[in-house]
Amino acid sequence: MALAQKIQEKTQKALGAHPADAKISKSYFSISFIALLVGGVLGLLQGLNRAGLLELPTWLNYYQVLTGHGLFLVLVFTSFFVVGYFYAALSHNLGGLQPKVRKMVWSAFWLKIMGAVTAVIPIIQGEASVMYTFYPPMAASPVFYIGLVLFVVGIWMAAFGAFIQVANWRKANKGQHLPILSYFATGVFVLLLFSSLFVAIEVFMILPWSLGWVDTINVMLSRTLFWAFGHTLVNIWYLTAVSAWYTIIPKVLGTRRFSDTLTRVVVMLLVILNIPGGFHHQIVDPGITESVKYLHVFMSLAIGFPSLMTAFAMFSIFERSGREKGAKGLFGFFKKLPWGDVRFLAPMIAMIAFIPAGAGGIVQTTNQLNQVVHNSLWVVGHFHLTLGMTVALTFFGVSYWLVPYVSGRVLTKRMNKLGVIQTWIWTIGMTLMSVAMHLVGLLGSPRRTSYSNYFGNETALGWDPYLIFLAVGGTLLIIAVVLQVYNMFHLMFRAPKGDSEFMVEPEAVGGNKTPFWTERWSRIIVLMLIVIAMGYVIPLTDFIFNAPPGSPPFKTW
Amino acid sequence: MQPIIGLIMFLFLMLPPVANLLESIMIFHMHMQMPLIAISGFLMAPFFMEKFPKFFAKWNERGIPGIILFTLVMTYWSIPRAMDDALTMYSVELFKFISLAFLAGVPLRASWMKLTDFWKNAVFVFFTLQYGLMGLIYLMSDSQLCNNYLQSEQITLGWGFLTVAIALLIYLIQLVIIDPSDYE
Repeated sequence: MALAQKIQEKTQKALGAHPADAKISKSYFSISFIALLVGGVLGLLQGLNRAGLLELPTWLNYYQVLTGHGLFLVLVFTSFFVVGYFYAALSHNLGGLQPKVRKMVWSAFWLKIMGAVTAVIPIIQGEASVMYTFYPPMAASPVFYIGLVLFVVGIWMAAFGAFIQVANWRKANKGQHLPILSYFATGVFVLLLFSSLFVAIEVFMILPWSLGWVDTINVMLSRTLFWAFGHTLVNIWYLTAVSAWYTIIPKVLGTRRFSDTLTRVVVMLLVILNIPGGFHHQIVDPGITESVKYLHVFMSLAIGFPSLMTAFAMFSIFERSGREKGAKGLFGFFKKLPWGDVRFLAPMIAMIAFIPAGAGGIVQTTNQLNQVVHNSLWVVGHFHLTLGMTVALTFFGVSYWLVPYVSGRVLTKRMNKLGVIQTWIWTIGMTLMSVAMHLVGLLGSPRRTSYSNYFGNETALGWDPYLIFLAVGGTLLIIAVVLQVYNMFHLMFRAPKGDSEFMVEPEAVGGNKTPFWTERWSRIIVLMLIVIAMGYVIPLTDFIFNAPPGSPPFKTW
Repeated sequence: MQPIIGLIMFLFLMLPPVANLLESIMIFHMHMQMPLIAISGFLMAPFFMEKFPKFFAKWNERGIPGIILFTLVMTYWSIPRAMDDALTMYSVELFKFISLAFLAGVPLRASWMKLTDFWKNAVFVFFTLQYGLMGLIYLMSDSQLCNNYLQSEQITLGWGFLTVAIALLIYLIQLVIIDPSDYE
């Protein structure tokens, strides 16, 4: 078996990505970056409107733009990138995708596109300005929800395709550990599957209600189901970014990975602990007793533990890589890091951004502090720092080698330089914008609100300087978006042909044998289900058995 | 190290504010406080196993007496009346802490590795059935089963039992349908 695998690895190295699998990843990346462009433009419109610099026409108002911005970036950009990235890993690690799996991931592709298009139509018509969180009592046109159903079914197809691929590889390679990036992929798809079950139940509650078949809906129940999905989705992107930090960064630095066991335990913990964390989004919601909220803070903060393990592992990798290159002194290794290489720079800035972003998350998870910032622009600043910096920059960093790899092309020095410039513009833009958002949020500026000076109220006028910074940041960001999209399509179709390496470091330090219990996914899933039960039985029983009369649909726009 | 962590955890759970918070909600009382006490005993077990190896060798040779003791104690504490007693009488509250830590947590640790797969699975089957049954009783009872807790809390606890039973059932089903030798 070992010999067969070696031969397979050698051929793979010589031939590069399997053409049929490369096409899958390329298609997913294309849609992802087109969504980035569209979503980015909508983001700019919003930023300019919020700063009072641009009045949007009635046929494309602020709330439509907000809903579209969320849908394109939160759902389409991320989910297409995640599938394209992990399927490239599954193909590379596990000897090419199986024909059946290829068919599944293509059906997933078209289902997701159909879903996204179906959802966008009512947004354009002004029938679905429910914003990307889409929870009752605001009701969109049923078409919007049908689109979301198709999108979720597409996600399930991609998840099951991955499971089949992994199960078959494991049958053919008994007793072996799943290669690390495929291990991350399995964790991500498990989370995607189980979290989207919640949103599927929610959408099936909303659909008859928006069609008028039932009169009322349980608002608290549907909000809770939404956030069980919503928060996990956020952590799915985060776990995807973490996968790149653990496996790709060491390769770029030319050193080995941090402990294999620790890496796998981090994945396991993030899978097990994640879903109940959604509750901290509802920490000021009525209908949940204080003691339950208090215990939920604990469940949410539990996710911080694997993140701190990750931080430790990363600094260890940096230090080792620096010392191998002859760095001296306590912090000398920082100078030895390849700051001029976009494949390192972008994820590195992403990681640095996660230090304040994670701290901001802890602020929001804490009951008392949440009262100060809830529904203010602080929250928007927070997720632009997490999604816009930590996740997006990691995705960009990955795409600078993965897109050329699947396209059979190479990253030239010029493109690398352009990538570095793009990364810095993005960083400056996002920093200006999210810092301004955090600060103006503390001063009370609300989120999800079109520009208003509230009849010249003094407090509201005091927000204006910050909002100008928001617009400046947004303008820089659109430059970075255009550059990024140009770079990606250039690397896909125009860059010089050649062989690129798949930048994943297989070797870990320590050389200790990873225990096999890390591979027992059914156990991990059962533990996850028990943790979900711990998190959700109390509030859900309360919401269902002590339910208020329910709410009819509202169209607030 | 583990026994010290277990002891600290045991004492922490005994602190009046901690005990009061966990006992204020029915499901926390049964599905959080009680398992945590048992886990603290589980962590303290190596201390006793090292101090009294002969005792464990003599009385718990194959782990069966230990697991039966564990099962009995855990089952006793799933009775609603037992919770009422613990809240009303200090002596029973004390017995709760002692029995769950030293008569459930410790024997579980001392027995589990000695058990054959048959007995391990039997324990899972027993708790799946018990939790499923208790869940149905708590859900379907028309009257208040505990003096100290409202009926709505009883329903929550019923769902707690039932969801754990479902998770255990999924574990058992995967034991039957997934053959580890296909993968390992």
